[in-house]
Amino acid sequence: MKAEYLMRRAFYSFLAFMVSLTLTFVLLHLMPGDYLHSILPYLAEKNPDAARMFREQFGLNRSISEQYLLYVVNVVRGNWGYSFLYGLPVLAVIEEKLRWTLVILFPSTVLSILIGMAVGAYSGWRNGSKTDLSVLNFMIFVGAVPSYWWAMLLILIFGFHLNLFPLGGYASIEALDVGVRISDVLRHAALPVTALTISSVPGTYYLMRNSTLQTTGEEYVLTARSKGLREMEILRHHALKNAMLPMVTVIALELAQMIMGSVFVETIFSWPGLGLLTFEALRVRDLPLLQGIFLMDTLMVIFANIAADLSYPLIDPRVKVGENV
Amino acid sequence: MSILAINDLKVQFPTPEGLVKAVNSVDLELEEGERLGMIGETGSGKTVLGLAVVRLLSGAEVEGNIEYRGKKLLLLDEAEMRKLRGREISVIFQSPNSLNPVLKVGDQIAESIRLVGCSNRQDAKKKAVQAMEAVGMPDAELWADRYPHQFSGGMKERAMIALGLACDPRLIIADEPTKGLDANIKAQVVELIRDVTTDKSLLFITHDLSAAAQICDRIAVMYCGEIVEVGRTEEIFANPLHPYTEGLFRSLPIMGMKAIRGASPSLIDIPSGCRFHPRCDRPCENCAKAHPPLVEAESSPGHLMRCFQHDRG
Ligand SMILES: Nc1ncnc2c1ncn2[C@@H]1O[C@H](COP(=O)(O)OP(=O)(O)OP(=O)(O)O)[C@@H](O)[C@H]1O
Ligand code: SF4
Ligand SMILES: [Mg+2]
Repeated sequence: MKAEYLMRRAFYSFLAFMVSLTLTFVLLHLMPGDYLHSILPYLAEKNPDAARMFREQFGLNRSISEQYLLYVVNVVRGNWGYSFLYGLPVLAVIEEKLRWTLVILFPSTVLSILIGMAVGAYSGWRNGSKTDLSVLNFMIFVGAVPSYWWAMLLILIFGFHLNLFPLGGYASIEALDVGVRISDVLRHAALPVTALTISSVPGTYYLMRNSTLQTTGEEYVLTARSKGLREMEILRHHALKNAMLPMVTVIALELAQMIMGSVFVETIFSWPGLGLLTFEALRVRDLPLLQGIFLMDTLMVIFANIAADLSYPLIDPRVKVGENV
Repeated sequence: MSILAINDLKVQFPTPEGLVKAVNSVDLELEEGERLGMIGETGSGKTVLGLAVVRLLSGAEVEGNIEYRGKKLLLLDEAEMRKLRGREISVIFQSPNSLNPVLKVGDQIAESIRLVGCSNRQDAKKKAVQAMEAVGMPDAELWADRYPHQFSGGMKERAMIALGLACDPRLIIADEPTKGLDANIKAQVVELIRDVTTDKSLLFITHDLSAAAQICDRIAVMYCGEIVEVGRTEEIFANPLHPYTEGLFRSLPIMGMKAIRGASPSLIDIPSGCRFHPRCDRPCENCAKAHPPLVEAESSPGHLMRCFQHDRG
């Protein structure tokens, strides 16, 4: 049962990956004009011979289906092409940048989940109260403001006016002499992490508030009240764990949004991660690199989903791996 | 001394459709050590009455007086009320979803025990296992570490009873603890409730007349949020006076399963006069106009009923 389930799960993940792979391929070929033209404009006019060699070299002279097959085989083999911008294998570039992204993405994901869940649980439990309504309105406001706006506001206040944190980058200029120190990087990461956290708290908050709200009418909550427990004890010991169950799967999906947000935040803070890379790749039309980034984002979301799926049975005793909902 | 005295209790729910008058001027007394059965069709207000006693109704307007051992419950603040719940007055709910699905059953019982001052986790767990043994659960130690979904319906109900008894309360309110169990298991649970409540006061809410007969000293019959008849169990069974009570008995399988005609009215739009008159077999003219009071039957003292034709012989 368990093995069969994991197989099925792996198969679906693979399917999702293939779909996004195909999508990138199709999208690129739907772009107006020649692929060669979009990466090296006017090469064909100026030097037809070079263009022909180029086409042969990169397989652009073959049929679409052949190109597709070649593309899939290469991607699966780990050959994601070369970045024009860096002149390096796409995968190598991405790998390096991914680490930097994780430095801000991981803490802000954890923080936004913790904050969103705690505030959401309280708000949902006290639903309709003054606190709930003011928190709800506040969150609606926070959620309506885009992440880059928060990023700029933070830079302005804490970087520029108060001069508490650096304005951007990942290390101070002294790093050239003394090397990159962790404390220095953390100081640089503080504002980007905060910006990303602020912009993703509302999402988790809404979900958790709703989920907690739904437990308030449950019969086991009535039982807990009849035992003489305090409201906050009932929330902590009884409602919270139940309210978290539906969250697990949704949080994995939220990651996609966080990745989106990180593009803006990293660009504004010049944080050398995947987000900034996306921006640069877009700017100079580094198509292989963009393709690679897109695939990497897909992979991250797929893995987050698998992780959510596997952790679900750990928190819900009714579900064993393989007997999933 | 009465352990519970309910006077002129009214419970209403404001809803978008109108005011639901779920309990209407109920007077009821429960002696210390007495077991009272509360019967009536679905929607007659039994659960609402039971929950009103422990003040666990949300969105309700509650008026009147509820006295528990001299304490006016409706006047207590929330903290005082909380101290009574579980340790003085406990509720046994009907089981399927009344236990928390993500917590071990033993822990849920231990939680109650810890509330009454047993601060040691291990001791509380041990006592929880004992409580489960006391309701006849085999291998209680093993089952204490399992989750509700692993329990059968009957086992869950036993666990609920163990939970209700865990802090040794004086008054127990059991709300349809046998609902949905098959006959065999039901008989066992009824027997269990009878055995574990011999030295307790019990408000036993049920649809099951025979269960009420086996457990209870007295029976109260509810209709449209009112008590229409109350008396000693033998009296009620041998000599039901109210046409509604008679109707309930006639609808029993062994009595021919003749259902009372019509449906119980909405508690938003309660019939005038005698609330039962649209469904009554032999209403008189007065029945639709005047509201009969709850009076003692001349023929049998202590047997109260709410019908104009109560002494028709
Ligand atoms: N929170 C609520 N809001 C509005 N109406 C309610 C609420 N709780 C109960 N009622 C109404 O009060 C009436 C009495 O309900 P109650 O649950 O006490 O009936 P019952 O006698 O216990 O029925 P059953 O045998 O089906 O359990 C019903 O008409 C019900 O719809
Ligand atoms: S008062 Fe009249 S209508 Fe009501 S139960 Fe008695 S006889 Fe029937
Ligand atoms: Mg009920």
